[in-house]
Amino acid sequence: MSTFAAQLNRFLLAALVCGVSVPVFAAAPVDTSKWTCEYCPFEDGYRGDYDVGVTGVSDDSAYFGDASGYDESGAYINIDGDGSYKSENQQISWTLEDLGLDSRFAEIEGGNQGAYDYRIAYREIPRRRFFTTESIFRETGSAELSLPSGWVRAPNTAGFSALDSSLVGRNIESDRSIFEIGGRYLQSKNISFSADFSRQERDGVDIFGGPFFFQSSLLPGQIDYTTDAVDLGVQYSAESGYLAFGWRLSEFDNDNLSLRWENPFTNGFGADSGELSQAPDNTFQQLSLSGAYRVAQLRTVLGFSAAAGRLEQNDTLLPYTTNAGLGAGALPVSSLDARVNTTNLALTANSYITSRATVRASFRYDERDNRTQQLVWTRAITDSFLSGESETNTPYSYERSNFSLSGEYELFDSLRASAGYDYKQMDRDNQEVSEQTENGGWGRLRWQANSALAIDARGGASQRTNDFYDETLAGSLGQNPLLRKYNLAYRYRTYGEVTATVAPYESPFSLTLNGFYAEDDYGRSTIGLLNGDDLSLNADLGWAASETVSVYLSGGYQNIESTQAGSEQFAAPDWTATNDDTFYTLGAGLRIREIADKLDLQLDYTRSDGTSEIDVDSASGGFSQLPDLTSTLDYLRLKLAYRYSDRTEITTRLVYQSFSADDWALQGVEPATIPNVLSLGAEPYDDDQFIVGIGFRYRIGEAAAASE
Amino acid sequence: MGLASIGRNAIALGLLLAVSVGLHAQSPDESDAKPEYSRKGADSCIACHEDAETLAIFKTKHAVPTDERSPFGHGQLQCEACHGPGGAHAARVRRGEERPSVIEFGSHEETPVDVQNGMCIDCHTSDVGFGWHGGPHESNSVACADCHTSHAPKDAVLQTSTQPEVCFDCHQSVRGETLKAFSHPFFEGKMGCSDCHSPHGATVDTQLVRQTVNETCYDCHAEKRGPYLWEHAPVTEDCGTCHTPHGSIHPGMLVKRAPLLCQSCHSQAGHPSLPQDERGLPSATPSQYLLGQSCLNCHEQVHGSNHPSGSKLMR
Repeated sequence: MSTFAAQLNRFLLAALVCGVSVPVFAAAPVDTSKWTCEYCPFEDGYRGDYDVGVTGVSDDSAYFGDASGYDESGAYINIDGDGSYKSENQQISWTLEDLGLDSRFAEIEGGNQGAYDYRIAYREIPRRRFFTTESIFRETGSAELSLPSGWVRAPNTAGFSALDSSLVGRNIESDRSIFEIGGRYLQSKNISFSADFSRQERDGVDIFGGPFFFQSSLLPGQIDYTTDAVDLGVQYSAESGYLAFGWRLSEFDNDNLSLRWENPFTNGFGADSGELSQAPDNTFQQLSLSGAYRVAQLRTVLGFSAAAGRLEQNDTLLPYTTNAGLGAGALPVSSLDARVNTTNLALTANSYITSRATVRASFRYDERDNRTQQLVWTRAITDSFLSGESETNTPYSYERSNFSLSGEYELFDSLRASAGYDYKQMDRDNQEVSEQTENGGWGRLRWQANSALAIDARGGASQRTNDFYDETLAGSLGQNPLLRKYNLAYRYRTYGEVTATVAPYESPFSLTLNGFYAEDDYGRSTIGLLNGDDLSLNADLGWAASETVSVYLSGGYQNIESTQAGSEQFAAPDWTATNDDTFYTLGAGLRIREIADKLDLQLDYTRSDGTSEIDVDSASGGFSQLPDLTSTLDYLRLKLAYRYSDRTEITTRLVYQSFSADDWALQGVEPATIPNVLSLGAEPYDDDQFIVGIGFRYRIGEAAAASE
Repeated sequence: MGLASIGRNAIALGLLLAVSVGLHAQSPDESDAKPEYSRKGADSCIACHEDAETLAIFKTKHAVPTDERSPFGHGQLQCEACHGPGGAHAARVRRGEERPSVIEFGSHEETPVDVQNGMCIDCHTSDVGFGWHGGPHESNSVACADCHTSHAPKDAVLQTSTQPEVCFDCHQSVRGETLKAFSHPFFEGKMGCSDCHSPHGATVDTQLVRQTVNETCYDCHAEKRGPYLWEHAPVTEDCGTCHTPHGSIHPGMLVKRAPLLCQSCHSQAGHPSLPQDERGLPSATPSQYLLGQSCLNCHEQVHGSNHPSGSKLMR
């Protein structure tokens, strides 16, 4: 509590410098009783715009099928559309997208605007990871994998004589569906109530690692998740402020408590089967209160938000092992009754002191208080043998406080200067660093050189320090005492960013250039992450050649480098590794509207190219360069829309997309390549797809506006 | 220190506020000549502004006569509710004289951004209007019209499939990140920036929709929420310690490849501290520490385990 009091005190000190302003518009009084809006074309009745078409896809592709739904070669029916119905007291609108695909979306919104409104939506998002995977395992239940008949166990993968005849294709894919329903009731101009419910379901197959001591199998395991969420809220709003109260419930339910599988290896411990836990059911509830108040005379807006939550988990615990021969003892409890309390508090003050000066202050406090009981457990090591040791579970808690103060002053009409100070503190339980603080400062200049050119430059530095790095605690976890975990380590960060925007008033050209550089120095770490830097450059060019023709061009470059050290002798560092990730993007496009008053054309090209180079220099192996990890995406799309009449349109779409990757983690790794890991044989992506689509669009009711 | 100190500063803050009220009460900044509204409201405007793009406003929520809060609600100021008094603008001007302007919207318009935004915020109060103050968009002088097209029946920034492109106009580097090999489905139009971010302002870093980074991620990934019997400490604090949510060239949107990512924090004697290099490739001695799922070949439960034997995150 003393930490919190100190933070609150800092906030009040900061608030002392706050001042004031929100522009108030003054106008002569007016009598609108004769403003009949006689010529206003209010929308009334029914309007619809529907697109029905067929799309052909050339090739199967997990990479391009992911999220899009175009995962298999063949023909797809496309149904898209939107529409609305409006009467004096009712407005309903609907949207349909990709109804013929696994990525379908439908939404209905409606109500009597100003009195109540509602929304119902349904979305599916396919997750496609690998179509190249193979497995020997057979599903004998939603959460159980068995060996095929005739399987011959062996101590390593080279001895799996029945492997080739046992492998069957097993895609790694799942489907997510999201159903949402909610509404809002406006009791008066100032008071509204809201209620929302959502259900997310995700089921399919994911990859699980199933180890038995020094052997492991990658398992295609079933997942079956459901998450329900309810949000209830009431809000009072007025000209001078608002107050909102909310209650949120989120309940996660996993149909599979575990994943059981038969061990394809002989491991010498009699462990013929194992059992992994899956994510446990959990419930999160949160009460929140937020609000703001405008002190008009002071030109100040004060805001706050507070939330208190509780996360609970009391799912049935699995036994120590399924291997009855080990004679494992009884569990201390049959379910954990785990509980985490969360507290969040934020205070903000924004003062427009004068028309040229602004001061901002904010304070934020987040707490995760894990109240889960600590118990003694006697582990069975991967269902193979008993550890013989007692272990106590460690619940992690933290308190995080952020305070920031900044000011901006308009030096001239064309130049604004701002500066700020940020203070962060993190207090943790049961970790190597119990108190971590970070002090940072930044400055910024914004220069509007003329009506065409604006330059924005900012830069800053921060220093993160610890009260103490507990090497004794680290040692109890078996860590090298010289290691400094990078989220706990001392760090000195510097960064800078420059953005230039060239956009002459009423000119057809616009150009934006951006450069960003950040450098992290973990100067007090001997083992672990030592340094890192990030450089990115981006450019966007837009050209409206005429009222109907426009062109865009964008490009980006990013380089992320880091160096880390380790010790294979568990002493002083004797190896280092560098990561050097480089990434390029290029985008270009052309839009031509109303060619011969009939045809719209849209052409887009995107390329992205990533390379990750990893070098390792060690005492035992010397300098070693892993093959580059690469990924290259090409995407070319042409869309044509031909207006046959005011109500009908014919659309065509041609897409070519290609993605290829080099990945040493997968390349050449067949199921039996690693002697002690039976893998799924996933291959790096090398996918090409042609997509050709033709559609017929028909408009019912009044034609939609061209601005859509 | 403690309560006494807090009390002193609270009193001082109150005094400062009181003094400021006095100072501002003395500001003689108002002119007697107030701008006048047009004589016929929207009918005056439509006489000239009759193009389809402008008239599309009548297909939007801003033009619902039965909603008294709407600019076209009964008794409201119609076009001038947003564009300000247009009396002078609609009046006759002498030949060669420039027609007085009204409030126009967009960063490149002559109307100051704070005046533009003030017109929007006057009606859009509550968390949208009040949250705006002090947020990064306000402090970067972003105009509401930079993102919203209020005359369009379908505002691109309010549609999941088109929203990211609107945001990428300014957030260029994020556009690049979403094009990396492993990303959330922005490119496919199945996820929008506002699924995670609250663009009108929030008290959380990077304006997240929930109270913390992790709470935001748990909206879709509730299976990672635990609390587990065996927790992985950094997972409980910040998903961003290992993941980069806009996209990565590494699977799982990880900040770097395993095993090096794991070895940034794990140095135990034996395999965690061994350098993994070319010697572990399939062409040499294929290593379970380097290939396939790397560390996750065995330590699968990296987000935490609820298995009584899962302290090493292997069950």
